[in-house]
This record gives sequence, structure tokens and C-alpha cells, in this order.
Amino acid sequence: MNVLLLLALILFILMALVGGKKGIKSFIALFLNFLVLIVTVLIMNDPNTNPVLLTLVACVFIGAISLFYINDINNKTTLAFIATIFTTLLLLLFIFFITEKSMIYGFSEEESDGLTIFSVYIGIDFVKIAASGIIMGTIGAIVDTAISITSPMREIHQHNPGITRKDLFMSGIRIGRDILNTSSNTLFFAFFGGYLGLLIWFKDLEYSFGEIVNSKVLNGELISILTAGMGVAIVIPIASAITAHHLVGIKDKKK
Amino acid sequence: MKRKFQKKYLIYIFVLIAFISSIIFVNNNYEFYDRTIVQITETDELERTEIVDQYDNKDVTVTQQITAVIKNGADKGQTMEIENQYSESQAIHFHLKEGTEFFLANDGISVGDIKRDQYLILVIWLFVLILLFVGKKQGALSVLSLAVNAIILSIALDIYIHNSDISLLIICGISIIFFTVLSLVMVSGLHEKTYTAILATFLGTATSLAIAFLAFFFTGEQGLRYEEMSLLSRHPQVIFMAGLLIGSLGAVMDVAITMSSSMFELYEKNNKINSDVLKKSGLEIGKDIMGTMTNILFFAYVSGSIPNLLLYFKNESPIGFTLTTNLSIELARALAGGIGIVLTIPITLYISIYFIKRKQAKQ
Repeated sequence: MNVLLLLALILFILMALVGGKKGIKSFIALFLNFLVLIVTVLIMNDPNTNPVLLTLVACVFIGAISLFYINDINNKTTLAFIATIFTTLLLLLFIFFITEKSMIYGFSEEESDGLTIFSVYIGIDFVKIAASGIIMGTIGAIVDTAISITSPMREIHQHNPGITRKDLFMSGIRIGRDILNTSSNTLFFAFFGGYLGLLIWFKDLEYSFGEIVNSKVLNGELISILTAGMGVAIVIPIASAITAHHLVGIKDKKK
Repeated sequence: MKRKFQKKYLIYIFVLIAFISSIIFVNNNYEFYDRTIVQITETDELERTEIVDQYDNKDVTVTQQITAVIKNGADKGQTMEIENQYSESQAIHFHLKEGTEFFLANDGISVGDIKRDQYLILVIWLFVLILLFVGKKQGALSVLSLAVNAIILSIALDIYIHNSDISLLIICGISIIFFTVLSLVMVSGLHEKTYTAILATFLGTATSLAIAFLAFFFTGEQGLRYEEMSLLSRHPQVIFMAGLLIGSLGAVMDVAITMSSSMFELYEKNNKINSDVLKKSGLEIGKDIMGTMTNILFFAYVSGSIPNLLLYFKNESPIGFTLTTNLSIELARALAGGIGIVLTIPITLYISIYFIKRKQAKQ
């Protein structure tokens, strides 16, 4: 039996046992997100499409699946969804800028040794592909942080209907600060784990510090990690502001 | 009050000075490098050829003449000319532009690494500043705990490189104890909820690793394409397992502390809370986070494979072959991490209830 199938089966059983109906839905959502990713990459094959725009569309789908499908459409998921899209757009500009400037796109010298049997003249803009990859790596964490903020903010508003917009916003920020550390940890360890081989490789081949900090692979990885961390931080004020603005009507606006 | 105010400003000034001086440094650190650095002053396109590869992909190869000035070493200030060839897709070689700085390759006449340190430091600073601005004290703690964890990892890897007889798994296992205790204490201080989360993290990580081991054992690792792990200097299997262990740790810690702090908060609000009620609320929280948490790991792992997937597809590799060779390792990591996340939910639930019951009995 294929190990991936077995692991997927174990995950499915555990999610169903622990989470019941919602667990099963979460598993299906994971699968659907995987499909969205694959379909996006398949469409990117057409050199006439813009990979960055495609990624944005994919993010809309991923956000909708992760939020609306698992939790139904209600104001906390809608607000989290809007915050996610907004943050992704904002981050995208920065990612595109830094990817182009620091030239972290394409395959690195180290990787390309293993790719000699392939034709690399494939007519796809690798700057955009790299930016798309970075955005995709971040989207899961942004969605998670967004819903972790809008959901308790709605609870707070329900328990204190008279709360001012500013107070509600500040409680959103406080909730965000509490989860900032654990969310960034989640991302960082995921990347550490994924690139453990690379780190050992650098040490084994005795790369000098100067070579490491200027290499394409390390810069690519670090820039992805750090932009993902920025995304998790930026979504906090965005989600808090959108939620506070939506839940507390204009007439209660007291600053 | 006034003192606190001043202290705050001192910190701001300190951060600002560190920021400005490090930016100035990386933009003028040429002499610290042994390799020759040049800066492009002019580029001229010499030739442009449209090409079609054997799979009908259209691309354009361009040859450019680059004039560059040497920035360090004995020949500092002299100009030189280099030819650079790239394809418009820029899969391997770059379209170089005026102002770009790069290292000369070892042959002294071709383009080596791009000088990227000034952008890396800019991104690091931006990250630190955003975290400080949004998170204030918690943001500072996040940055600090990331730095500490990176140092621990680096030390652990050094120990591994120099003592190859010690298994990487054991070294990572020991580092995990440090990672977990330090990160969780930094997040929520010395409190019972922290101890609960630490214990739950250990149990959750160990159980999920055991399950992954068993799954690998019973399937004979069929379907795992270790040979596709790029950049390896060691036995891939060990690196894969160690990466699995560390990779899911952050997510497991996140689940453990989120659940234990909410459950202890319920207890603090109502000291006599019934354990059935606790169990039910804890499970609700767990259900809420399991979907998004597994998503984080999934996207963090799989997104890195996008360029490779495209390269394979464009070289007319069959879709099944492309997916299995490029994604098997990443998917196995994401799935095993997901198992860890889901298992940690009931583990944290029962450990929290155990501690809370003990506190209730003491009253």
C-alpha cells in the first residue's frame, strides 16, 4: 500500500474521530485545497496566463473553501475572508517587488545540476512563478489568523453590544498579539523542518558565511518565511479594523 | 510613569540606530568579501534569438554585454566587460540590469552569485519592525524566540556534523525539548497552562512520529521518492524523519497552547466547572482549529514545489509521474504533521482536565 494513502487514511480517521462532522469537512477541505493548487499549476502551464493573477484567484478559492465550507457562511467567516484577500493583495505587491529585486526566482545553481535532462527554455516568467509560490505558502497561515481574530471579536461584541468601535478594535489587536507568537512559530518550524536538508548541506560543504547569505536558495527560503511572518502580523490590524467597522455601526462611532 | 515613557523612547531610538547602521553597512560591505564584487553600470543587448525547444515551448534567448565596475580588492574602481546569456523565462540565468551587484564566478569572467545580502537584511528588518509595531511586547518576544530557536537549531546541526555517530533523530529529539520549553514559556510564562502545553506537545509529537514510523514500516515506504529531495549531502531518510519531527512541532505547540490556555481560562472563570463541560468546550475549540492548522502546514510545504511542477509539465512529463516525484515528500510531511495536530487535541484536552481536577481537589 502506498504510504501517502495510508497516512491520508489515518489522518481522515483521526479527524473524523476527534472532530466528527466538522473533522470530516476539514479533511475534505484539505483535499479540495490540494485540487485548487494542482489546477492552478496546470493553468499556469499556458504561457499566456499571468501566474500572479491566477494565484490571487486560487487564494480566493482556498479562502472560501477553508472558511465557508468548514464553518458555513456567516459574518465571522465573511469578515475573515475579506481580511484574508485584502492582506494577500497588500503582501503581493511587496513580494513581487522583493522577488524581482533580490533575484531569488528560478532554479538555483545547486538545484539546476539535477535538472540537466530538462529543457529550461519553457517560456514561463519565473519571476511571477516565484512570487506565486511565496503567496501560496502564506495563505494557510493568513486564513488561520484571520478567523482566530474575527471569531472571538464577534463573541465579545455579542456579550457587550454597547462596546465602542475603538474598544472592539483594540480587543481584536490584543487577541492577535496573543496568537502572533504561536502562528509565527508554526510557520518557522514548518520551514525549518522542510529545509533541514539544505542547512546540513551548507554545513557539510563548508559554505562560507558570505556564500550562504548571498545564495539564491537560502535567500529564497528566508524571504518566504519572513514574508509569511509579515502576513500573519499584518492580518491582525486588518481583520480587527474590518470587524470593528462592520460590527459597530456608524451611529455608535465614538472615538 | 515618566520613566516608563523615557524607556520606551530609548528602545525606539536604539532600534532605529540599529536599523540605519545595518542598512548602511550591508550596502558598503564590499571589502569584507574575498570574492570580487562588481556593479553593473551599463547593459547592451547584443543578440536576441527566438527558440523553440523539443516540446514546442517558445522562449527567447538574449545575449547582453555588461559593463561593470569592480567594487573591492586590488582592482577596485576598474571597469570590466562581461557577456551574459539568459532566456526570457529566467529559469536559471538572469536578465541583468543596471545597478545590480554580483560576485564574479571563480573563472573571473562570468557572472556568479548575485549580491543579495542588502535585500535579505531589509526583509529581516521589515519583518522585525512589523512584528514590533503590531505585536509590541509579544511581537518582540516572537522575534526573540525565533532568533533563539534558530541558534539552537544551528548548534544542534553543528553537533551533528561533527559527531556523525550520533543519530540526527536523537539530536533533533533533544533540541525539540529546548524548542518547546523555551517557546512556550516565552509565549505564556511560568503557568500551569504552559506546563500542560509542554507535556501535550511532547506526547503529541512522539505519538505522531510513532504513527509515521509504523506507517512507513508497514508500507515499506512505497510511494516516497527520496531521490527527489534536492540538495542532500546525507542519508535522505534520516533527514526526512528529522525534518518531519521539527516541521510539525510549531503547529503542535500552537494547538497545545491554544487549547490549554482556553481551558484554564474556563476554569479560572468558574472554579467549580464540571469536567464534562470542560471536555465539551475543549473539543469545540479543537474542532475549530484543526482544519486551518492542517492547512497551514499543507501550503507551507507544497507551495515550494510549484516551479518544479511547472518544469516537469512543460517537459511533457505525465501528470501522475510529475505529482508523485515532486510532491510525495512534501505531502508525507504535511499529512504526518496533520496527524500530529489532530492527535494533540485530545491529548491536551485530557492533560488539562487532569491538572484542573487536581487543582479542584486541592481546594
